[in-house]
Amino acid sequence: MSNLSTLTNGRRSAEQITGDLVPQPFGKRGMIWVSVLIVLCLIGAFAYFRQLQEGLVVTGMRDYVSWGIYISNFVFFVAISLVGSLITAIFRLANVEWSTPLTRIAEIIAVSAITFASLIIIVDMGRPERLYNLLLHGRLQSPITWDVIVITTYFFISLLLLYLPLLPDLKILNGQKTKNLPWQNKIYTFLGSFWKGSEEQFKISEKAISILCIMIIPVAFCIHTVTSWLFATTYRPGWDSTNFGAYFISGAFLVGSGGVIVAMYVFRKYYHLEKYITELHFEKMGRIAVMLSLIYLYFNVNEYLVPAFKMKKSEAAHLEELFTGEFSLMFWFAILVGMIIPIFVMLFKAGRKPFPMFIVGMMIVVGAWFKRYLIVTPTLLHPFLPMQNVPDNYMHYFPTWEEWAITIGSLAGALLIITFFVRIFPIIPIHETITEQHEKAEHISVSK
Amino acid sequence: MKNNNNIPRRDFLFTGLLTAALGGCNDKKNPFAQDEVVLTGEKVKLLSVDGEVIEIDKAFLKPIPDVPHLTNAEEREGIPGKKFVMVIDLARCKNLRKCQSACNHMHQVHPGQNWIKVLGMEDADHTAPYWQPTTCMHCDEPPCVKVCPVDATFKRQDGIVLIDNERCIGCRFCMAACPYSARVFNWEETLMASQGGSEEHHHHNSGPTSVAHQVKGTVGKCDFCPEMTRQGELPHCVSACPNGVFMFGDLNEDTVTNGAETFRFSELIKDKAGYRLMEDLGTKPSVYYLPPVNRNFPYESGLEKETGDEK
Amino acid sequence: MKKLNIFPFQNRPTLLLFVFAVSLLTRQLAAQEGKKIVKLHYVNSNNRVQYLLLECVLKKGKVLTPISNQSYKIYLDSAGTNLISNLTTDETGKAKAFIPPSLKAVWDASSQHTFIVMSDDEEVISDFVITKAKITLDTSGADGVRNLTASVMKMENNKWIPAADVEMKVGVQRLGGILSAGEEDNYTTDSSGTLIVEFKRDKLPGDQKGNLLLVAKVEDNELFGSLIAEKKALWGVATKVDTAFFDQRTLWSTRFRTPYWLLFMAYSIIFGVWGTLIYLIRQVIKIKKLGA
Ligand code: SF4
Ligand code: SF4
Ligand code: SF4
Repeated sequence: MSNLSTLTNGRRSAEQITGDLVPQPFGKRGMIWVSVLIVLCLIGAFAYFRQLQEGLVVTGMRDYVSWGIYISNFVFFVAISLVGSLITAIFRLANVEWSTPLTRIAEIIAVSAITFASLIIIVDMGRPERLYNLLLHGRLQSPITWDVIVITTYFFISLLLLYLPLLPDLKILNGQKTKNLPWQNKIYTFLGSFWKGSEEQFKISEKAISILCIMIIPVAFCIHTVTSWLFATTYRPGWDSTNFGAYFISGAFLVGSGGVIVAMYVFRKYYHLEKYITELHFEKMGRIAVMLSLIYLYFNVNEYLVPAFKMKKSEAAHLEELFTGEFSLMFWFAILVGMIIPIFVMLFKAGRKPFPMFIVGMMIVVGAWFKRYLIVTPTLLHPFLPMQNVPDNYMHYFPTWEEWAITIGSLAGALLIITFFVRIFPIIPIHETITEQHEKAEHISVSK
Repeated sequence: MKNNNNIPRRDFLFTGLLTAALGGCNDKKNPFAQDEVVLTGEKVKLLSVDGEVIEIDKAFLKPIPDVPHLTNAEEREGIPGKKFVMVIDLARCKNLRKCQSACNHMHQVHPGQNWIKVLGMEDADHTAPYWQPTTCMHCDEPPCVKVCPVDATFKRQDGIVLIDNERCIGCRFCMAACPYSARVFNWEETLMASQGGSEEHHHHNSGPTSVAHQVKGTVGKCDFCPEMTRQGELPHCVSACPNGVFMFGDLNEDTVTNGAETFRFSELIKDKAGYRLMEDLGTKPSVYYLPPVNRNFPYESGLEKETGDEK
Repeated sequence: MKKLNIFPFQNRPTLLLFVFAVSLLTRQLAAQEGKKIVKLHYVNSNNRVQYLLLECVLKKGKVLTPISNQSYKIYLDSAGTNLISNLTTDETGKAKAFIPPSLKAVWDASSQHTFIVMSDDEEVISDFVITKAKITLDTSGADGVRNLTASVMKMENNKWIPAADVEMKVGVQRLGGILSAGEEDNYTTDSSGTLIVEFKRDKLPGDQKGNLLLVAKVEDNELFGSLIAEKKALWGVATKVDTAFFDQRTLWSTRFRTPYWLLFMAYSIIFGVWGTLIYLIRQVIKIKKLGA
């Protein structure tokens, strides 16, 4: 069986494809899933309400560990959002055809992650109601300002990149009004009634998408580089590194692809999309993930081996804590589960089958979350001057239930956005799948 | 109050009868520091040493005459022509922490937190331990100011790095950026607010306070007591230390003092080999240290405080 | 074991009472332990203005805390009749009083005066005696040697006579202290009530013209209180107010002094990207128009 024939999966008709791919109602399991997510969000919201009332004292953060789980969660969100640009833009520019079914998955992950990245950063602020000061008194010298600008930009680009390719699908959805629920029709009409699919419209849209694809790559690199600069522009051991931007980006690509793999598996399973998200996709994503893991591993070696070789006094305490000390368990977990084991699994062909890939994807994502925690917290526990003259609880950090609740709530929120999105819009581009099938069909018939 | 008409500039201080009157009204007053006094316009009559009756503005009836309330912008600029420095003599410190209690009391620092810490330092296994009082270094190239997104922490022309607690958004980037761990955060309701004073306008001193006070959800740190220096007084920690560890002054006057002794800054630094912390980071601190040689107290004499206090 | 379990319940009222008693006791102890200290200073500045400074602190163990809002009455020579002032201490525990003209007759009548501090009807300070004194400060310079001459006169039997053995600081007034003019920290007057100090502070920064404010200061002398004499002299180096460092465009400057390169970079990126974005949004609108 050649790759090509797997892809074309027996040449299904346009109607069949549409029927397979239009959004489905949740079903019972879906409803449970949504309710669980909503409950988690509400708990998070309640925890945040408490934080607003009492102040950040409800968190485990204190003067030394002044950034905690919120910031590591923020970094995680920013990281995972990078995947939108990888799958959509880089693959598109490189003419990777098989990536079509994955583009929208990647984009919606990007949009929801970046939304919650900005929310979580507001949660972390001591005075969120003064956010407007950024507009009134914004200072261009501060990396935070850069981050705010670049995240907003990335958000809009991602949104456009999600929206433009959606237009032809909206026409298809608009064309079967009777099958949709009334509220769905309202959304479809509002968003895409003007799309007639004329050649001119296609021309403009294609051009716009190409521009977006080119533009999103540097912007995506920027958001993660600038996020890494929030750390790298300080003097702290473990952060003071010129390697940080590249290190963060490579990590982001890895966790992003992990996220896509997990999403691919879940959607495929739940919506029975085996004909569209095929084993070949997992196979290919597996290869890419191995490469990304290796790159990330390379940067990790750079990041830890070089300072560990010199063992500067300020770095030594930090590194020892990671390698053998308080954080060693988490550190080796993140390294092994987040990188090494996935590499070994995915090196084998059997490991690149859907289910093992799903497990590996989960491992990557979970490992990556803990990795972010390790980047933020241990460093803050090793300031240059000794930690003295402070109460005992200032010298340790463990998140409180409020922090966990808010963090979990934000993760649930991001999943909720994705879930609702799939409920409303086709997660696999219908129009593009149909056209690609036709082209391939022609191609095959011509070559015969 | 019609401040504007009633603020005599320093230049007038030495002319006419008022000269003597002003000169005598505040024994610690430094005319170079205290530019302005808010005059009430009302006069009081008083008896001179010779039994003459002379007149003086009512403002001088206060132990420390009021200085005009400054706008936020004026406070941000700082005092022109000043450049404050501190010299900390490690040879004199025995970890009494009087500086700490005075500073905490006057600034109503949250219990458990300190703007000034006395750190027990031991640089290496076989080097001698010593006590190191540590304040904000008021860096000339302050990394904390570099990273603040809203100008809430800023450098004044007199060298002081201050925080505008009405503007700070509480992102805590400055805390991460400060290599001296000088900054604290108001994690919960501040003492000022919980003791009934309004956060907005209450301050421990009658000085100009449009910038420096504590607000929940914002950062705080040693501020070199700008309300004191504007009045020509020394910071609280300096006057509180019985051992004269802290010397404070104006670099442009080339003088530092702990109240009892006064030194020429450049000579002191030269004679005692003064240094600054973490010079290699390029932060250019305004706080200098004199090495712990020929100590007045053995290190151990400070340990008592240590065990009693950490709980 | 059993008894131990029940104990707190059975004895709760007693326990509460006990706790209450203990807390009451400790409070009283604490109040007793803290000692209120009232200090009075007399200051004569440039032989013209004289005033009294009252300080009130609470001494608890080794900790001194200023006490505010304490009311006192100060009398001249005889308690109850010659009221100088009613005082209330401020946040720093201090209060200040001038001698009112109404007491001129009393003041002129003697060369020695007693100041009496009363709180309600209790005499807090009754033995604070001050002898009238004057201090002068003069400068002289010849052949590159600059001298400061300070002299103290005291009043005895209505006559001004020199005061010998008075210790004082002679130097330059600086922020928070006096930088000694010579090598010693303190100087003492001789039998003629005079002392001469050579000014050895070369190249000391002065004000914008090079003026230094010279002072001679007797601090809390047993007989005379504090005496201050000031004089301006052009003995310093002129210093300019230099804000060049502060005015730089650097990364630590305010947002009004952002470095040009950063402005340029940031704005070119922002305008480049957002220009394109706006162009794209207009394309979307165009698509919309085409469909309408
Ligand atoms: S010591 Fe820290 S807080 Fe103080 S100016 Fe320097 S960097 Fe800023
Ligand atoms: S916490 Fe406040 S002062 Fe510090 S960087 Fe953020 S806004 Fe500026
Ligand atoms: S200078 Fe002022 S704020 Fe700083 S430590 Fe001393 S008393 Fe505290």
